[in-house]
Amino acid sequence: MQIFARKENDDLVLEIKGRIDALTSPKLEEECQSRIDQGEKTFILDLGGVEYISSAGLRTILILARRLNSLEGQIRFCGLHGMVEEVFSISGFNSLFPIFPSVTEALGQS
Amino acid sequence: MQFRKRGSFAVKLMSMMVASSGLILIVMIIFNYSSLKKSYLSEAEEAAKNLSKSIAQQVSLLLASAENATKILAPIVGKYLFSEVELTRFLEDAIKNKPEIFGMGVAFEPHAFKPELYYFMPYLYRQGDTIKPAFLGSPGYDYFNWKWYAAPKEVHRGLWSEPYQELINETVVCTFAEPFYRTSQGQKQFQGEVTASINLQWLQDIVASAKIFDHGYAFLLSRTGVFVTVPKKEWIMNLNIFFAATITDNPELQRIGQKMIEGGEGFVRIKDFLDYQDAWLYFAPFPVRGFSMGVVIPERELLAGLYRLNKRLIFICLVGLLFLVVVAMLISRKVTGPIRLLERSAAAIAQGNLNLALPPPATRDEIGSLTNSFKEMQEALKEYIANLAATTASKERIESELKIAHSIQMNFLPKKFPPLPVGKFVEVATFLAPAREVGGDLYDYFLVNNRHIFFMVGDVSGKGVPAALLMAVTKTLLKGLTEVGLQPSQVLAKVNHELASENDSMMFVSSFCGILDLETGELTYSNAGHNPPILLRPGQEPQWLPVPEGFFLGVFEEAVYHTRRIKLLPNDLILAYTDGIVEAVNVHERFYSKERLMITLKEAQYNSAEGLVKTVKDSVATFSQGVPQADDITILALRFKGYKIP
Repeated sequence: MQIFARKENDDLVLEIKGRIDALTSPKLEEECQSRIDQGEKTFILDLGGVEYISSAGLRTILILARRLNSLEGQIRFCGLHGMVEEVFSISGFNSLFPIFPSVTEALGQS
Repeated sequence: MQFRKRGSFAVKLMSMMVASSGLILIVMIIFNYSSLKKSYLSEAEEAAKNLSKSIAQQVSLLLASAENATKILAPIVGKYLFSEVELTRFLEDAIKNKPEIFGMGVAFEPHAFKPELYYFMPYLYRQGDTIKPAFLGSPGYDYFNWKWYAAPKEVHRGLWSEPYQELINETVVCTFAEPFYRTSQGQKQFQGEVTASINLQWLQDIVASAKIFDHGYAFLLSRTGVFVTVPKKEWIMNLNIFFAATITDNPELQRIGQKMIEGGEGFVRIKDFLDYQDAWLYFAPFPVRGFSMGVVIPERELLAGLYRLNKRLIFICLVGLLFLVVVAMLISRKVTGPIRLLERSAAAIAQGNLNLALPPPATRDEIGSLTNSFKEMQEALKEYIANLAATTASKERIESELKIAHSIQMNFLPKKFPPLPVGKFVEVATFLAPAREVGGDLYDYFLVNNRHIFFMVGDVSGKGVPAALLMAVTKTLLKGLTEVGLQPSQVLAKVNHELASENDSMMFVSSFCGILDLETGELTYSNAGHNPPILLRPGQEPQWLPVPEGFFLGVFEEAVYHTRRIKLLPNDLILAYTDGIVEAVNVHERFYSKERLMITLKEAQYNSAEGLVKTVKDSVATFSQGVPQADDITILALRFKGYKIP
């Protein structure tokens, strides 16, 4: 799994490619935590390149959300497709987090 | 001596040392021999030279003595007329004290002494201890024609003759004849010669007495190469050197003989013409009448000292080499001793014995440090193995504990259907396979009262022991909190509340649960983020059961859940499962997927819930063959059989 980060004004866009599962979710957690430590508050996770997310991945997202919550930050998602989109919908994640079709729509929504 | 086992190293060391030392010694010996030989030969040549000189000197004295005798007498005899008696007395005086002179005489020219005498030659000679007189000169001995007389007369000075046999007693002599003259009327007139003869024996004795080495000898050659003196007496005056060369088959000697009579000097290697052995010949001109002298030294005598020296040297070298061999053996033992021990230790370690004592490193050299390294390695290995053993032991302990945990967990889950109330028929079949020894999937079914059955499937986030623990808690809560009259959504809400209140780890549970009224067939159900089940109605395509929204259990304490209803007809089947099914992968990394599950169900032929569960289970197993199971798999099939009024 690879994470490509870029800043768009106040928003931090994390473009994720690969699987988010028990093996790779620690890396995602580490990356996001270090970004939080650097002061980032608004995360836009682009899952356009993610084919699969396991419960470990969902858990990581929940942990992240809780941390950001206490800092009054936010996570937005975009690029959901296929199985990932299904999981988000069944699990109710899409009512928890703002979901957008692509990065463009996700930007500047603060 | 433990020799053969370590043969290769010791032998290598020894042969290398011996070979190289041997080579050096051989070169030394050869060099030594050749340079010493040169000096031996030059010393021999020097000795031969000196011998010749000494002989020559002695012979010269001998000859001089004879010459002088005549030279003293000649002028006197020439000047005055003496009588026979006087002459005889002169001769006697001259010869008396000179034993080396064999005979002396005065040979007068014809009629020179007395007119009436043709021949007149008073002569004194030795015979034994006496001196005998004689008068030579007769037709039988016409001395005027003899060379000894004729030559000095011709050249007007004294000359030595060649050796010849003297008549009186056949002794071989050389004669020196000094002419004398009478001056008359202002003219010198040749009157005769005063002679002195030397027995060749004297010459031979002088030469023979000259000793060089043990068997060296000297010989004299005349002007024509005839042996004047030589150890082989038969050859004297009979043979010449060229003949000697022929009989010894020595063409080289012909050449040398020629050189000798030409007055050459040299030191050459020849085959001795007396005994055919290798010898060295020194030759030089002799101060008498074109004679030449040769000194022969047998080679084996000449080089005897060298041979002896060489033998001694070789012996010492051999002893030295032997010593070297012993030293080499000792060295190799000293080296291979510890190595042998180290080898044994290595073998023991390979066998698993890490406690074989190593030799104490006695030296500070490489062997000593090798031994030290070996010891360290031994210690490190011991430690490593101890660690490994401990780790393995704890791993085995954990595994056995997990096995036990597995059976405990499996026993948690209901397998057999409880006895049904009369007239109510329902079938439940289940399958659960954890990905590891214990897992986070769960299912449950039990009678709430005598007409309601509660069933659920659930999936704890993650797998393994942590998930299994939460699974146990969840299942216990579900069972405990389900009361008569509660809706499924209320059950989920209660369980959620409990789980979420103490959940720092953010582990969650997805769940689908339902309550079926066995008399009416009404199914109420709720969902907490779980995959929707499938409704299989005979005569229809399988359909997804629409599920209400609801978040995972255990995350938000205030999460809200909803209930839905559906009426089941007899023989309707609800298939619930966890995502381990749809997320199973095959060797090509493709998911089993909902679509494939649907197709499998559409094509499935089954007579019972059990049969359907088996069909689905087998299908997933076949699909994911070759890939280790990634997630826990659960299948629950519930078939409503209807209600028969008893």
